[in-house]
Amino acid sequence: MSCTVESKDRAGIINPMYTCQPAGGQFASIGVKDCIPLVHGGQGCTMFVRLLFAQHFKENFAIASSSVHEDAAVFGGTKRIIEGVEVLARRYPELRVIPIITTCSTEVIGDDIEGTITACYKMLAKEFPERTIHLVPMHTPSFKGSQVSGYDEAVKSLIKTLAKKGPPTGKLNVFTGWVNPGDVDELKFYLDEMGVDATVLMDTSRFDSPMLPDKSLQTEGSTTVEDLQDTANAIGSISLNRYEGGGAADHLKREFDVPAIQSPTPYGIANTDELLRNISTLTGKPIPASLVWERGRALNALTDLAHMFFADKKVAIYGHPDLVIGLAQFCMEVEMKPVLLLFGDENGRYKRDPRVLELKKTVDFDMQIVCNADLWELERRIKDKEIELDLIMGHSKGRYIAIDAGIPMVRVGFPTFDRAGLQRHPTMGYRGAMHLGETIANTMFSHMEYTKNREWILNTW
Amino acid sequence: MPMVLLNCDQDIPERERHIYFKVPGEDTRDYLPVANAPTIPGTLSERGCSFCGAKLVIGGALKDTIQMIHGPLGCAYDTWHTKRYPSDNGHFQLKYTWSTDMKESNIVFGGEKRLEKAMHEAFNEMPDIKRMIVYTTCPTALIGDDVKAVVKKVTEARPDVDIFVVECPGFGGVSQSKGHHVLNIAWVSEKVGTVEPEITSPYTINFIGDYNIQGDTFVLERYCERLGIQVIAHFTGNSTYDDCRSMHRAQLNVVNCARSAGYIANELKRLYGIPRLDVDSWGFNYTAEAIRKVASFFGIEDKAEELIAEETAKWKPQLDWYKERLQGKKMAIWTGGPRLWHWTKAVEDDLGVEVVAMSSKFGHEEDFEKVIARGRHGTYYVDDPNELEFFEIMDKAKPDIIFTGPRVGDLVKKLHIPYVNGHGYHNGPYMGFEGFVNMARDMYNATHNPLFRLAAIDIRDAGAAQIEEAA
Repeated sequence: MSCTVESKDRAGIINPMYTCQPAGGQFASIGVKDCIPLVHGGQGCTMFVRLLFAQHFKENFAIASSSVHEDAAVFGGTKRIIEGVEVLARRYPELRVIPIITTCSTEVIGDDIEGTITACYKMLAKEFPERTIHLVPMHTPSFKGSQVSGYDEAVKSLIKTLAKKGPPTGKLNVFTGWVNPGDVDELKFYLDEMGVDATVLMDTSRFDSPMLPDKSLQTEGSTTVEDLQDTANAIGSISLNRYEGGGAADHLKREFDVPAIQSPTPYGIANTDELLRNISTLTGKPIPASLVWERGRALNALTDLAHMFFADKKVAIYGHPDLVIGLAQFCMEVEMKPVLLLFGDENGRYKRDPRVLELKKTVDFDMQIVCNADLWELERRIKDKEIELDLIMGHSKGRYIAIDAGIPMVRVGFPTFDRAGLQRHPTMGYRGAMHLGETIANTMFSHMEYTKNREWILNTW
Repeated sequence: MPMVLLNCDQDIPERERHIYFKVPGEDTRDYLPVANAPTIPGTLSERGCSFCGAKLVIGGALKDTIQMIHGPLGCAYDTWHTKRYPSDNGHFQLKYTWSTDMKESNIVFGGEKRLEKAMHEAFNEMPDIKRMIVYTTCPTALIGDDVKAVVKKVTEARPDVDIFVVECPGFGGVSQSKGHHVLNIAWVSEKVGTVEPEITSPYTINFIGDYNIQGDTFVLERYCERLGIQVIAHFTGNSTYDDCRSMHRAQLNVVNCARSAGYIANELKRLYGIPRLDVDSWGFNYTAEAIRKVASFFGIEDKAEELIAEETAKWKPQLDWYKERLQGKKMAIWTGGPRLWHWTKAVEDDLGVEVVAMSSKFGHEEDFEKVIARGRHGTYYVDDPNELEFFEIMDKAKPDIIFTGPRVGDLVKKLHIPYVNGHGYHNGPYMGFEGFVNMARDMYNATHNPLFRLAAIDIRDAGAAQIEEAA
C-alpha cells in the first residue's frame, strides 16, 4: 500500500504522450487576439500543429512558418524571419502581435532571435510607421521539455515582453493552463458569479465558434494586447496549473509585486473549493450562494455514482501533469483507485510536487507514478498483466490501448479528436466534475452492456 | 488574364507566377505556373516538410515495420494519427510510432548512442517485428549523426533484422516532395533485389503509388486477383517491407501516383528493364481504362472485359443516380498535387461535375502540365496556395463543394461550403468502380446537407421562415 514515483528506463519512445515545445508556443499564441505566430523552422513544425489543433477543436487557426529550407539551415535563417514578419504585417492589417517561435533546427543553427527582432522593429518602424506590432521571442527548442513546458515558456514570454507598469486595474489575472473552451467558460462563470473582474489568460472561449449567416470567421483567441500589458497592474494572479502558466504568475510577482497564488488545479470538488477560496482571498469577494448550489448539485450527482459504481475501480490516467494529478484527486473523491499515473516528460519538479508528496503520504492502495512516460509504459503493463484496469482516462493518442485491451476509456485532455465535442464541455469546476463523473459512468455502462458483464444491474437503478 | 495577381498578393507580386487561370486558345506552352519553388515565409502556406513526405506518406504505410524517427519527440508525434491507411494485419502501422527522443545533451554530444539504444529497445519490446526504417530529422541531420554506422552495428548484433535508412531532414527541398524522392531512390538502390518473391502467376506487377487510403489497395488487389495477376508489391499500401524488397521480379510497374513514386518506377526500368505503365485508379472510366491497359500488356483482354462488364453492371446504376443529382455542381480540389489531374476529368466525365479551382502543395511543373491539359477553361490552377489566396479564389470560383484536408474543411464550414476529405476521404475507398461510387455518394451527401441551407438564415429577419420554406 504505497505510492511510488519512478521514471521510464528506456531511452527511446514508443508512442509519445506529448508533442514538442513549439506546439505549446503555438497553443498559447493562438489564444491572443490579432496575433499570428511565426514558427521559425521547417514547415512541418507548423503544418502538423495546425492539423493537431484542427483535429481537437474542429476549427482552423492561423499560424505562419518561416519555411526554413536547406539554404537557411546552412547559412542561417534570420532573413526569413524578417521577411516573414514583413509579409504578415503587409497582408494582415489588423495584426498586433507576432510571436517568433523557435524550433530544434533554428536553435541548433543558433539563429539570433533577439537580434533579429531588433532588426524587425527597425523594418516595421520604417515600413509601417503608423502601426504598433509586438514581436515576442519564444524559445522553444524541441529537444527540451515538451508541449507542456513550451506552453509555460510561451505564456511567460508573452507576459515578459508585454506586461508594463500602469495604474492599478483592480482586476485578477487567471492563468488557466492548457485547457478547453468549456473550462474557460466555466471559470468565467464563477468569476461572474463572484463579481470578480478578471483577465483570463489565455481566453480561448471563442475557439468554440459558430457558423453565422454572414459567413464571418470568429474563431480566435480573445486575450488582447492590453490585457497582457495590464497583467502587471492586477490585484493578484491565480494560476491553476503549476506547469502551464505558473511561470508567468511568478514573473509578475517578481517584477511587478503582483501577489500570486498557485491554486490546486480545479478538478473535483475539493480542488474547486480551494480555487474559489483563493479567488475570494485575493479579491475580498465572498463566495455566493449560487455557487453553493452549483457545488451541491455536483455532489448530489456524484453521490449517485460513487459507492455503487465507482468504488474500488482501478484507473490509469495519462496526459498533462496538472491534469493527471487533478484527475487522480478527483477519482479518489469518488472512491476510485487511480493505480497508475503517467506524465509524458521529465521535470525534476514532478517528484517534489506537493500534491505528489501528499499522495505518497496518504494513498491506502498501490499507486505507481511514472515520469517521462510514453504510452508504451501503459500498454506494456496491460499486456504483461502487471496491472488490471477498469478504466483508462487520457487523450485520443492512446485510443488503441483501450480498444485492443477491451478496457473502457474516457477521453480527457488534449487532443480528444476521436470523440465529438469534448472541447466545449468543462472538466474543471463543479460542473466539470459532474460531467466527467457522468461520462465515466455512462462509458462503464456501455461497456457492461457491450460485453454483457453484469449489465442486468442497470435493469433497475 | 492567364497568370493572375490576386488582390491579397499585391505585396508579394511574385505569387503571380504561381496562379494560372485557363482561357480558350492557350496551352501550357504559353503559361505554366511555377512550382516546386521555395515558399515565401509568413504567407500561411499549407506545405509540410520533406521528412513527412518520406515517413508519413510512403514509409509509414508499411504494415510490419518499426518507424524509428531519430530526433525530438515531435516529429514522431506529428506523423502519427494523421493518416487513414489501414492494413489487413490489425493496423500495426496506425498504432505505433517511435522516437529517439533527442534531448539537449544529445544535440551537444551527438545522438548515435541514444539511437542505438532506442533501436535495440524497439526490437526487444516487440520481438515479432524484424524490420525497421530509421529517419533522420532536422536536428540530427544538422549535428551530423552517422546513422548508417549505427545501423550497421545494430544489424551485426541482430542478424535476423533488416534496417533501412532515410536521410531526409524536414528542411530538405521545399515541400513533402523531396522526401518522396529521397525514399524512392534510396529504397530502390539499397533494398530492391534483396528478397526473392514466390512467383504464383505468369502475370506479375508492382502497383506503385497507392497507399491504401481507406482500403483502396484492397479494391485494386481484388481486381488483380480476378485477372489472375500477382501483385508482387504495392508501393506501399498494405505492404510488407519484404514485399517491397522483391519489386525487381515484376514484369510490369503500374503507377498511380506518379508524383510520390514515379521515381522508383523509372529506376526499376533503368536497373531491371521493367516497363512503366501510368494509370489513373480513381474514376469509373479511368478504372476501366487502367484495367484494359494492364490486361493488354499481358494479352488477357477477355478477362478484363469480363471484369469491367461485371463491375459496371453492379455499380453503374448507382453512379448514374448520383450523376443525375450532381450534374453541374462546382467543385474545388485543394490538396497535395496529383489528385488534381487524377480527379478533374474523372468527376467531369463520370459525374458531370465542373472543377473550378485547384491547388497543389507539392506538385511539380509536370503535374501542372497534366492538370491544365485535363482541366477546364475558367478554372484556377494554383501552386503552393496560402490562406488569403484561398478565400479570394473561393469567392471568385464559388464552388459547391471542396475536396481538401480537415483543417481547411473546418474553415470552409464557416463559409457554408461543405468539404469532403480529399486526403483521407470521408467514407472510402475511393479507388476503383465501387470507390468512385463512394466518392460520388460523399459528394452528394455533402452538397445536399440541409444544415448549410439553415446556416444561411438569419432568424432575426422577418422573412427568414419563408426563405427556409422556399429552400
